[in-house]
Amino acid sequence: MTREALALVVAVLALWQGLALAHLLPPYLTSPAVVLGELLRLTRSGELLLHSAVSLYRSAAGFALGAGLGVGLGLLAGVWRRLGDAVEPLVALTYPVPKVAFLPILLVWFGISDTSKILLIALSTVFPCYIAAFYGVRAVDPLWVWAAQNMGAGRGRVFLRVLLPGAAVHIFSGLRVALALAFILMVASELIGSSNRLGLGFLILSADAGGRFDLMFAAILVIAVLGFAADRLLLAVRRRLLAGSVLLEEAHRG
Amino acid sequence: MARTGGGAVAVRPDAGVAAGWRRWRPGVAAVAARLLPVAVALLAWEAVARSGMVNPRLFPPLGAIAAHLWALLHDPQLGRHLGASFTRIVAGFGLAVAVGVPLGMVLSSVPPVSRAVEPLLALTYPVPRLALYPILVFLLGIGHLSKVTLVALECLYPIVISTADGLRHVDRLYLWSAQNMGAGRWRLFWRVQVPAAAPQVFAGFRIALPVAFIITVLTEMVSATEGLGWLILYASASLVQARTFAAVALVALIGFLMDRALAALRHRLIVWERETVLVAMR
Repeated sequence: MTREALALVVAVLALWQGLALAHLLPPYLTSPAVVLGELLRLTRSGELLLHSAVSLYRSAAGFALGAGLGVGLGLLAGVWRRLGDAVEPLVALTYPVPKVAFLPILLVWFGISDTSKILLIALSTVFPCYIAAFYGVRAVDPLWVWAAQNMGAGRGRVFLRVLLPGAAVHIFSGLRVALALAFILMVASELIGSSNRLGLGFLILSADAGGRFDLMFAAILVIAVLGFAADRLLLAVRRRLLAGSVLLEEAHRG
Repeated sequence: MARTGGGAVAVRPDAGVAAGWRRWRPGVAAVAARLLPVAVALLAWEAVARSGMVNPRLFPPLGAIAAHLWALLHDPQLGRHLGASFTRIVAGFGLAVAVGVPLGMVLSSVPPVSRAVEPLLALTYPVPRLALYPILVFLLGIGHLSKVTLVALECLYPIVISTADGLRHVDRLYLWSAQNMGAGRWRLFWRVQVPAAAPQVFAGFRIALPVAFIITVLTEMVSATEGLGWLILYASASLVQARTFAAVALVALIGFLMDRALAALRHRLIVWERETVLVAMR
């Protein structure tokens, strides 16, 4: 955060608050102070924790399932050429499809449950992870593999010590896209099919129905903070695991 | 996607049908090899649907889906839905381009603005902006405007970021040689930086257009009265699962065709650079 950016944020918030205090804003632009008050109330009553926990559970479970499956399959397809070639047309055909479209089908199969939401999230995260892992393995310099083989590394060792670290940078960029998707689809599935009255998306819907704009902004803010925090967490993990290539990348960027 | 096909094939000058076939055979074989897994997947679907293990009403066979798809394609209302969705995609994407490319240009060339705006872009990038949709509907109504705004907002990020990035990372040799030949700042920007950054800018478009499609369908599923997303929800409300599948298949087909068209367009427009793999948001 630069000083300029901070100043811009503070200026916008101050202007917003000032205009609200002067009654110059329409009621749906609730002032930041009121939103903050609502946020405090939600936290105290425990509602916030409940809805956040449910939403986080859905996105985390879907992300774990989709990312695990996607990275696993991608690595396998990257190593095992025939599998990769066989799956490639199916991926090319299904990858450009907006996965939300499958929500009504999943809702019929699994009901308005966490299962259908988790599966939808998994379905949409599996693709970027698969593609990233697949191309990550394929992009590893064959020289490295030959060098390792030459020094007596077996198949398992080549995979664990050469291919996996070599593909890791790609895998993490896939995971990052998938994580963002997991949050988008979490919100989407809660906006479209949530009738079990839980989740931050539902909180927005109910606030919308009740004309409670303070509640709505509070829920939006929480979703934003959670999405941001999850992204930072992934980046921190990446920094730990891939310290070398991350530093190199930052050095390049200057 | 990995490029398939046999690569260069020598063709003898004594052409004719045989030589023609020889030339095409690798291509045909490649297409067949690509279709085979799809056929296997479809057959597996049909086998499960007919096995009796699942309720065919919930897991419809391909014939039923195809029949509904056929009916859907002949529905006189389809044009209206396609039109609504495409209006939203094009308007949202166009708005994002109209705002995003100039903004990217400003960010890359005016450091104070960049210092104020870019951290905010980075901060809000991982935030699901879809959460804003209900409030947009309240402000702008259930029609085109709320959807176009959200589509534009989502498309803005990849476009701004790739434009600014592309303009910033122009090969210094180009800049130096242009300056050496007496190009001023203005000329340098428009005649050197902008053309050199074009592939990057296009890469941003390539990420943004599928996003526009996804967000359009999504918003239409949340609340709309027409469009492809609405069509899917309407079909599913009929409780005939085969009909839902038909609507989903139609959307899938459009998504696939859009992706292919975009790949072909890139291939034609930017001939000097090999395509890089884009792990885009879908």
